[in-house]
Amino acid sequence: MGALGHYLETQGIPTTQISLIREHTQTIQPPRALWVPFALGRPLGRPGDPAFQTRVILAALALLEAETGPVLTDFPDDAPEASEPAEAEMDLPACPVSLARPEGQKTETEQLLETFRQELADSRSWYDMATARRGFSSVAYFAPQAAFQVFNDFLLDKPIPLDGNIASTALALRLAAQDLKAAYFESVMVRPDVTLPDDTAFNRWFWQKTAAGEVLRAVRDKCRAADDAALKLNGDLLLVPMDQAFA
Amino acid sequence: MARLHTMPEPMRSHLSDLPCPTFDTRPWVTGPPLSRRRVAILSTAGLHRREDRPFEGMTGDYRVIPDTCTAKDLVMTHISTNFDRTGFVQDWNVVFPVDRLHELAADQIIGSVAEFHYSFMGAADPGAMEQAAWRLAGLLKGDAVDAVLLVPV
Repeated sequence: MGALGHYLETQGIPTTQISLIREHTQTIQPPRALWVPFALGRPLGRPGDPAFQTRVILAALALLEAETGPVLTDFPDDAPEASEPAEAEMDLPACPVSLARPEGQKTETEQLLETFRQELADSRSWYDMATARRGFSSVAYFAPQAAFQVFNDFLLDKPIPLDGNIASTALALRLAAQDLKAAYFESVMVRPDVTLPDDTAFNRWFWQKTAAGEVLRAVRDKCRAADDAALKLNGDLLLVPMDQAFA
Repeated sequence: MARLHTMPEPMRSHLSDLPCPTFDTRPWVTGPPLSRRRVAILSTAGLHRREDRPFEGMTGDYRVIPDTCTAKDLVMTHISTNFDRTGFVQDWNVVFPVDRLHELAADQIIGSVAEFHYSFMGAADPGAMEQAAWRLAGLLKGDAVDAVLLVPV
């Protein structure tokens, strides 16, 4: 981020930036930066809190009126926290994953995919309702059933349909994984039986309690074993977060 | 909480070890008072219009986001899985604070909001973004922008 500020300012464009990693900004020394102590992914603080977001923006824009630079200042407040995330996590629904089946029936992968399919079916109404209530979904390319098909086909060695925008299996898997997480969060947003979890609780639930998380770990493992470099990169870095990689 | 020293491993070491560019010069461009500035957002969250191309890799390319874009039109395809996306799902202003900018313009705290905003995908090598940033500077000047708010993710 800081490098872009340097490049634009060199070309005559005044810039000011929000910084999430203070140590990086100290090294790069862009012209103007406001460090904020917020979670990665939330540079303006808390969703649905316009007054707080405006305070952050004004603090960053105010640096444009500094007389000399580089300027690096700290935003004074943490983002307001959601209440009781640990309690909320306990309430979240998921299909239990059990791979214990008699011999001669489905493989472990087929059993996992069946559990995943059931989990998606259970949450489908909530996802549809969330989409209808907001008038849109943050899912970009793969609605839940399409994401299921991508992972199902990959894990069962079937070809994945591709198109102009999504021209490789590796890209399809990564985008489908991102969309699946967005769909699960949107489903949780409207359920009457859960308190909306914060990002930490949501991630812990998604990666440690759901069949979807289990499926993505299976996809990760298969990607790692592939010869294709893009699939290997997926498996090593782009499907499962670092803090959930060994769970 | 994005305090590096409180982050759990292996994220802390990953971020600590990321190479950051350093520069010999310290460019500094001044402008009019904030109430007369035209402001654009430059995000590194891998944002783009729903019908645009997803971000694929480390090529340092960017996407154009018209100011008329709405929350339902904007999606995120940043390659990293190591940051929170639930905030963006709930409220795009957490990452792309364009509604806040329009409120500031309506209140005459800033002069106006640019016609176009832009997004890179921040995991790319900063050096790979340099040429694109130069081209972007010409586009920003053409839009009479004299303040860019850079927003990471």
